[in-house]
Amino acid sequence: MSKSARDRASAKRIVEQQKAAARRRRVTIWTSAAVVAVLAIAGLIGWGVLAGQQHDNAGKLTTPSVAVDEGTAFAVGTGPVVVDLYEDFLCPICHEFETQTGPAIKQLISANKVTVRYHPVSILDDKSNGTKYSTRSAGAAAAAAIDGKFTEYHDVLYANQPAENSDGLSDAKLIELGKSVGLGDTFATAVQEDTYDAWAAKATDTFAARGFTGTPTIVVAGKTVEGPNQTLPTTELFTQAVTQAAG
Amino acid sequence: MGVTTDVSRRTDVWPWVSTVARLGLAAVFGIAGGLKVTDLAASGRAVYAYRLMPYDTAKVVGAVQPFLEIALALLLLIGLAVRFSAGIAAVVLMIFIAGIVSAWARGLQIDCGCFSKGGDLTGGRTARYGLEILRDVGFLLLAGILLVKPRTRFSIDGLLTRWI
Repeated sequence: MSKSARDRASAKRIVEQQKAAARRRRVTIWTSAAVVAVLAIAGLIGWGVLAGQQHDNAGKLTTPSVAVDEGTAFAVGTGPVVVDLYEDFLCPICHEFETQTGPAIKQLISANKVTVRYHPVSILDDKSNGTKYSTRSAGAAAAAAIDGKFTEYHDVLYANQPAENSDGLSDAKLIELGKSVGLGDTFATAVQEDTYDAWAAKATDTFAARGFTGTPTIVVAGKTVEGPNQTLPTTELFTQAVTQAAG
Repeated sequence: MGVTTDVSRRTDVWPWVSTVARLGLAAVFGIAGGLKVTDLAASGRAVYAYRLMPYDTAKVVGAVQPFLEIALALLLLIGLAVRFSAGIAAVVLMIFIAGIVSAWARGLQIDCGCFSKGGDLTGGRTARYGLEILRDVGFLLLAGILLVKPRTRFSIDGLLTRWI
């Protein structure tokens, strides 16, 4: 090969390399743009789905007539100290609290020392194999409250609490338990038609907006009561808080 | 065999290492997003538990985040703009790590919500922030591999450079 032929060949090679580099750059630019577009669309979908769900819930929202505290709770008792209990019917520690401190609470109510505002919330919907037991049970409790049987139904739900990561109690079972405490057909219809399920979502939203994240959350006269290291308070701690609040 | 073969073989290993990193990272984001996407309200509550933004903002972030994670997982899975996608993944992971560190520093007792809907820990469960950070750093390492060596097998990037 002559010198000029070699030069031509190497010049051609350089041009080829430059073309290849330009090609790679073009691919990088366009694929990156595609990535940005895909992520933007995904984000918009997320936003849209959320807005859709909120709109859906707002449309279906039926606030139980007897609910107090911005329509999120059911009051039991008429005592001067207000106790707010935020509970999920699927939450095992709520069950533990009910077993441990429930009797003391009942005494305080009948001695006219406290007004207990029960806030059923549904934060464990992902722990009942997709049947949303937390929401269904909270909605059923609302229906029971309307017929004046909140406490009875609340107690029977805890006595029959299903395990986490099971299907939870079926609607039929929820109705059957209602019948066992004297609830009738209007209650059964409300459970079957999920009348108060959107309300349960709203009550949970209010719970979260108030800065609470776990259940049970126990608030006595506006102050959260808990044991050391954010554990369940003992009955003694709880009654102490009530006595203090009563002054 | 000569020295040249050894060198070329060594350089050939990287695309395979990167492919494993790419698919691993895709799985991480896919699972993380998939677990959250079924309950957006819970995802929003988990974001709010970090106490870094107002509730209404946290709700939107919590709803958008799982969709972004799934989209990023799909992009990594098909291998589109691998270096760029890995860069985004790295930024996202650093934000997560910063969030966990700040929760730790403030003494919050929360479940990081990385692979669940998170929330407060109650009833004596303790937060394991150290492990959570370590895990995220591991994922960050996968993203790092892809940032340095973005050439992978079975990727759209590879197909495009050959076609165009």
